[in-house]
Amino acid sequence: MLTIALPKGRLQKPALERFTRAGIVPDEEPGVSRKLIIAAGPAARFVVLKDGDVPLYVERGAADLGVCGIDQVLESAADLLTPVDFGFGRCRLCLAAPRGRSVTAELGRSLRVATKFPRLSSQWFLRRGVPVDLVHLSGSVELAAVSGLTDAIVDLVESGRTLEENGLVVVDEILQVTARLVVNRASYRLKVEELLPLLEKLG
Amino acid sequence: MQPATPLPGTQDLLFEAANRLRRCEATLCGRFEDKGYAEVIPPAIEAADVFGPEAFRALDRSGRLIALRADFTAQVARIAATRLAGMSPLRLYYRGSIVRRVAPDSGPVHERLQAGCELVGAAGPEADAEILALAASSLHALGIRGRISLGSTGYFSALATAAGASERLAASLNDAVDRKDLPTLRTLCEREVAPGKARDAILLLAQPPRLETEARELLARAEALAPSEEALQALRRISAALAAARSLGAELEVDLGEVRGLGYYTGIVFNLYAMGSPRPVGGGGRYDTLLGRFGDPRPAVGFSLDLDALVPLAC
Repeated sequence: MLTIALPKGRLQKPALERFTRAGIVPDEEPGVSRKLIIAAGPAARFVVLKDGDVPLYVERGAADLGVCGIDQVLESAADLLTPVDFGFGRCRLCLAAPRGRSVTAELGRSLRVATKFPRLSSQWFLRRGVPVDLVHLSGSVELAAVSGLTDAIVDLVESGRTLEENGLVVVDEILQVTARLVVNRASYRLKVEELLPLLEKLG
Repeated sequence: MQPATPLPGTQDLLFEAANRLRRCEATLCGRFEDKGYAEVIPPAIEAADVFGPEAFRALDRSGRLIALRADFTAQVARIAATRLAGMSPLRLYYRGSIVRRVAPDSGPVHERLQAGCELVGAAGPEADAEILALAASSLHALGIRGRISLGSTGYFSALATAAGASERLAASLNDAVDRKDLPTLRTLCEREVAPGKARDAILLLAQPPRLETEARELLARAEALAPSEEALQALRRISAALAAARSLGAELEVDLGEVRGLGYYTGIVFNLYAMGSPRPVGGGGRYDTLLGRFGDPRPAVGFSLDLDALVPLAC
């Protein structure tokens, strides 16, 4: 029996398509059903959760494998295998600031940056030797820079429209993001007979 | 005063939990002693330079940096290289707890219960196999079904050298191999490694683990691609250890992507996995240069078991 962590949100549909093509079809539609665990034939089941929680579930073995963006894998610092790049869910983690405002000038204080990705952001600034005052927000990150809470933001950029409509521009790109298959280290070895054919079909 | 609970990452073991641990330890120690291993009990604190950056350190009154035990193998190597210098082979075992930082040089510490064996002064594949078979039979003695996945840090180093990889590139390649991240490994190779045998061999590292005949096929494919004598020797060493361990009754799988280990591993490296544990329950490898740090260069190989993970699974 394989337990698969399926993310809610924009990654769910393309992820389900890939699993369906690989022969793993949920008995009920996850978008419709309120169930948190959905069987998929006799040999697999889906657990449905927020994409940011996928790495933890898989690392701790509550799920054998799962789907989430590489941004979530790296931000969680979970110890996982990442054997397949699905290619969908493509976006970029970017440093962005209000148009015309310099984030490289000497401010005489730390650069204030709002983000949902404190680990990836602080690593990136640390590598560049830039002192930052990171503000960890849970949503509407753009607002932080627009309202003056911070000088800049680090956030995911898909089309760039949200940034544009709020007068923000991309200053630098931190990470190219796509959806990844993540696999628990022990499951990979102990359930290799079940997993390998699936990995080949998903890959 | 705050309610007095154990610090995060530590625990009290009471009654049945304490009994279970002691029963498992007794089973394991019995197995180790049957195979000719003798117990050593190193101290709980050491000079800090015996361990790596994962150790929890403090200054003593004279300003000397000391550390809580972070790794039994380093302590056993120190003992073997000093008081037991020149006596080969040595078969030593230990049990007890280690204290480590969760992440090197920062963050909280945790305490872990371990038991393990070190075979010092034996360089051949029979020694590798003896340790592999003893690790396998330890799981068996606890009534735990598991798998041992065998790789080699020596082979990875040989490939990185043959590819002319910088330290930074080697670290990136190692990380991608360790994560079975074939897409990233491909990108790195295409961008930074010249086409050739070394590159093809590195790409083969992200292959899934193979059992039995498939393992031999995988090793044969890798041998055909071996870019240097060093790489070829490392592969032959895996094959020899595999064959010798099989003759001792241990079932192994070969995973050339099993490249993670403590910094001092130089040859074969392996991890133990058991049904019911999301992390490896033990691991080990060959460390032929560690004793040299303490003044008595001799080859050695060993393994340790994570009792926190194993005791709840043992029957």
